[in-house]
Amino acid sequence: MKDVIDVMELQREKTRRINPVDYRQMEFKGGFTPARFIFECVHRFFKEVDHTSYDCFLIAASSLYLASKIKDDPLNIRDIINVAHNTLHRGSSPLEIGDEYWNMRDAIVQSELLIMRVLKFEVSTVHPHKYMLHYLKSMESWLGKETLENIPIAKLAAAFLQDFHHDPAVLDYSPQHIAISCISLSLQCYGVQLPLIEDLDDEAWYSVFVKDLQKDKHWEIMEKIMEVYNRENGN
Amino acid sequence: MGSKLKRYEKIEFLGEGQFATVYKAKDVETDNIVAVKKIKLGSREEAQDGINRTALREIKLLQELHHENLIGLLDVFGHMSNVSLVFDFMDTDLEVVIKDNTIILTTANIKSYVLQTLKGLEYLHLNWILHRDLKPNNLLVNAKGVLKIGDFGLAKMFGSPNRVNTHQVVTRWYRAPELLFGAKQYGTCIDIWAVGCILAELLLRAPMFPGESDLDQLTKIFGVFGNPTEEIWPGIKTLCDYIEFKTFPSIPLKSIFTAAGDDLLQLIESMLVLNPIARKSCTECLKMPFFSNKPAPTVGSKLPLPQSIRKIAEIERPSLKRKLLEGAEGGTLSKRLFV
Repeated sequence: MKDVIDVMELQREKTRRINPVDYRQMEFKGGFTPARFIFECVHRFFKEVDHTSYDCFLIAASSLYLASKIKDDPLNIRDIINVAHNTLHRGSSPLEIGDEYWNMRDAIVQSELLIMRVLKFEVSTVHPHKYMLHYLKSMESWLGKETLENIPIAKLAAAFLQDFHHDPAVLDYSPQHIAISCISLSLQCYGVQLPLIEDLDDEAWYSVFVKDLQKDKHWEIMEKIMEVYNRENGN
Repeated sequence: MGSKLKRYEKIEFLGEGQFATVYKAKDVETDNIVAVKKIKLGSREEAQDGINRTALREIKLLQELHHENLIGLLDVFGHMSNVSLVFDFMDTDLEVVIKDNTIILTTANIKSYVLQTLKGLEYLHLNWILHRDLKPNNLLVNAKGVLKIGDFGLAKMFGSPNRVNTHQVVTRWYRAPELLFGAKQYGTCIDIWAVGCILAELLLRAPMFPGESDLDQLTKIFGVFGNPTEEIWPGIKTLCDYIEFKTFPSIPLKSIFTAAGDDLLQLIESMLVLNPIARKSCTECLKMPFFSNKPAPTVGSKLPLPQSIRKIAEIERPSLKRKLLEGAEGGTLSKRLFV
């Protein structure tokens, strides 16, 4: 059945494509929650296998597909193929249904299974985002609502966190530590002083949130976050 | 991964569902009997969409959940293009128990089943998970009389206010009225309604509301409880599929469950409430007098078993040593039940 190309269906699909997935929503505050999982997924995968043996575009496409299913925010495989195809061939028209399409679809599905096995079927990950949200929420009354509203501390911290996911190092630290480091980097960028705390370098300010984050580790994570911006055009 | 395949020795074929085949198998490493659920991925047509979402949900959620009254996911492994899930082996389920007319269900038996269901469900809800498909068929029971909630194919995390759910969940007969009216945001109350229906079914030995369509389902529900009004259920008219029904008078539950005691009726009345907000939570239900009043819930080993399993149990006369062991386990279980 499925091997026969249904012309009517194709026509309908064309008219239906009025509401494409808005990939701008893949930001921190947007509705597309799987985004954070994709990065972790890809990093964890390549941690286990040899980089050169797998095509990173294929793994990325599969991770995107898998992430959408795991986070209960399903994407159509056709959309994923379109995005992947367009990434590889900028500006080309969407792939016609044919051998190449089916090969791509098969490859995505097969590598999805491979990823699951490499991840040892462990797919419930704890992300730093929820910690960050609650830390910031608690700081609202500490810093004063006005300061938080006027200075985009939360927005910058969220951006740091999102960008830090480009670095495999995101897997090396606990989610709580990453959340704290993003917030303190953001505080330093805007030169915001916390009331009742003498010096921001001091680990005192976050000790109400986490007890086990040493000063040097805190600095190490912040440096790693900044490093991400130095290698934008590199790997 | 080949070793995993050898680890579970197939004993017999148990059944086939829409997405999976289930085998009874022996874990050669521990000698435990397990159930292996092999997700179908075989042909190209089925493989097109990749790993089945229901299987993924079970993998994702069950890996983190550990409770006496929830089915345990023991292992997951992949072989070729298949994914297999290894579960605790369960001998039967409540649907079989309810339909077996050689079994007499006493109040103590029913108390034990409902208690175990609510304890499992309470744990689920405290971990922000909705089951969304509770029915007798998904309440699994083993020969020791332990009930475990199974089939997490529709289960989902809840609590995120910006996420919209589908109302097309739960087998119709156990579907709460707000779902039938098209509610897209709902909470633990939908599972409570289902437990209420299951409890009623244990008493009646037939489904309480066997609706033939969604509309008929609502008609059957209102036929017992009367029509919901804005007074008893504020905001009902804002639900997207809300429609006005012809007026029904409500029937006292006492006339439906003639044999049930007042404490049991009180429990049913707290679970089957039309207004979802007014429905009691698992924790509140567990504190109701029904569970502390006499008779005490039947201990696991004394719970009735369906005919088919009874016969097997008789053939495999347990050795004295095993009997003693089972006795000891039964003791701890009953202790746990009374706490």
